[in-house]
Amino acid sequence: MMRMEIALILVLVFVAFIYFSAGRRNTPLHKTFSALLIITPLHLAFDAATVYTVNHLETVPPFLNEILHRLFIGTMPLVVYLFYRYISILVEEETKKPVHFHLAARIYLILAELGALLLPVHYAVTEKGNYSDGIHVSVCYISTAFYLLLCLCLLLKNRRQMDRKKKATIGVALVIEGIVSALQAINPTWLISGMGISLMTLAFYLTLENPDILRAELTEQKMSMLYLKSQVNPHFLYNTLDTIRIQAQLNGDKTTADLLMRLSDFFRLSIKTDKQMTALENETELSDAYMELMCCRYPELEYNCDIDPDLGDALVPNFILQPIIENSLLHGLKNKGYRGIVTVSAKKSHQNCIEIEVADTGSGFGEGVKNKIDEMLTHYDKEKPKTESIGILNVQKRIKLLCGKEFGLSYTENTDGGVTAHILLPLIQEKYK
Amino acid sequence: MKKLKVLLVDDEIMIREGFKRLFDWEAHGCEVVGEAADGMEALGQIDALLPDIVIMDINIPVMNGLKVIEVSRVKHPQIAYIIVSGYDDFAYCRQALRLQITDYILKPVNYEEFGSCIDNLKISMYENKTSEQKNSENREDRVISSITRYMQEHLSGEISLSVLADEFHLNPQYISQLFKNEIGVGFLAYLTNIRIEKAKKLLLSTALSVTEISSYAGYSDYRVFTKVFKKAEGVTPSQFRREFLDRKKSEI
Repeated sequence: MMRMEIALILVLVFVAFIYFSAGRRNTPLHKTFSALLIITPLHLAFDAATVYTVNHLETVPPFLNEILHRLFIGTMPLVVYLFYRYISILVEEETKKPVHFHLAARIYLILAELGALLLPVHYAVTEKGNYSDGIHVSVCYISTAFYLLLCLCLLLKNRRQMDRKKKATIGVALVIEGIVSALQAINPTWLISGMGISLMTLAFYLTLENPDILRAELTEQKMSMLYLKSQVNPHFLYNTLDTIRIQAQLNGDKTTADLLMRLSDFFRLSIKTDKQMTALENETELSDAYMELMCCRYPELEYNCDIDPDLGDALVPNFILQPIIENSLLHGLKNKGYRGIVTVSAKKSHQNCIEIEVADTGSGFGEGVKNKIDEMLTHYDKEKPKTESIGILNVQKRIKLLCGKEFGLSYTENTDGGVTAHILLPLIQEKYK
Repeated sequence: MKKLKVLLVDDEIMIREGFKRLFDWEAHGCEVVGEAADGMEALGQIDALLPDIVIMDINIPVMNGLKVIEVSRVKHPQIAYIIVSGYDDFAYCRQALRLQITDYILKPVNYEEFGSCIDNLKISMYENKTSEQKNSENREDRVISSITRYMQEHLSGEISLSVLADEFHLNPQYISQLFKNEIGVGFLAYLTNIRIEKAKKLLLSTALSVTEISSYAGYSDYRVFTKVFKKAEGVTPSQFRREFLDRKKSEI
């Protein structure tokens, strides 16, 4: 039995190490769990110690045995109390209503601790092994039963308002602890109370307190905030743009009206992007709208797009074309005063691949820039995004993630100046019957 | 031909003004007879004015546009509805298709391209008429229907006013005038319409590639075909095919 206790301690210490080394928010819930992660291994250590001392009554001094037992029994109500605290805080967070059992729980905790400290310790000696029994040990069982019951009440009372995942976690943890305690009560020599507690702690750790999950939730929150910010009621924007456009046209200003029309086209297309993969045609539609606007701003800019119409429905990662084109403008053609041509083409290449090319007649790569960009695109996963290259790095990352490592973005220099971006993708097409 | 009566329904005055003043209704043989800014008003105007065409926004106060169509359809089954909506939303689109509306176009409306919407409507009205009354006494009716039948049958070949003039031993100007008078649209608009309709049929019923379909529909250059298709339908040929198939999939 001692071996099991030691294994459990190791597991819990490991969990505690990961938990404490990860960043987390300082909410009451997480503080309670932190306390649990400290007290539980301690309790298990005392448990393991008593398993040894109670079976070596002759060699271990009686006072040491008694102190260890009192510590072991004394930490038990504390552990189950912390479980209760944890669950009650969880319930309070979910229902936004206070839980009314706190006073009873605290008074009981004091009584149980007094009992663990003062009640006489008694050892049962049997052939299967020794264990402590009598009124002192009953403190453990009563505490467990008491707090489990409180938790069960909380769960049943608030089952309607609670998130399914949290409900399931609490339920499973309670069932495990209940079964283990009952087994321990029936077979006192098994000495498995530590197992129930460890499993319960692990259940919470894996589902609700896992640092990765917490981090993911935090990021998700941040992302959705950004997302909301970025699309301030699109209908309002379209409609207003359209009103302005019509007013311009009514005033006889056809040029302004056309520009506004294109702007709302671009806007509509760019917020339509909600799927990971999209048809190549949707991508070219977006870049057409973008380039039309740019060509209006810079009349000496020219744009050509030639895509095989049978590739129009090929699936490609969303929003990969426009950032590449924007990059060609900002780093190639801008240096030439926006005089030049951007050509987008797509063709089927060998072995079921598509190659999309964005060629520009800009200033080309400066000294050493080509190497830097190649380096960055090869080690895309280790690279920290710099502001100037965040667009293409992002495109590269998404292609690798969605299509596979063998695909991606690369750059070559044109013989007559300027650069060409090559996007190699798998040819994914739905078949029509 | 007698002018078609148009009712404009949109809650924004600027949209109605734009439609009224920026689209050349006269040239398309229509006139705007009334406006409505909400669902109830629209129902009242439909009953009072008996328009041929209703230009309808979906998101309007009191009663939404789709509901208005559903209600008035019972009383006036002959009215054609063109939905003009800012909602790039598939749920609406599907609901609208179930109501058998004539067309569904998205804001912002390009007034130059809106004309083809009206032309399509007239062509489908003409086709309904000819399928109802087979053997007309009127000579013009007989000539135009044999010309259109010839066009349908020779779509993948070259069709022009002079080819038709040779085939039917008529003056090209006379044929052109015949289209204007009998169908209400120009010869080219009619030709484009039936080419695109043919392409749509092939896109949905066959697995032919876009390039093949474009030549069946009479376009030797697929780029021209894609451009014309996009202008007429608002989507490219493969988007059209994909959207239809996605819709079918989601209905199963």
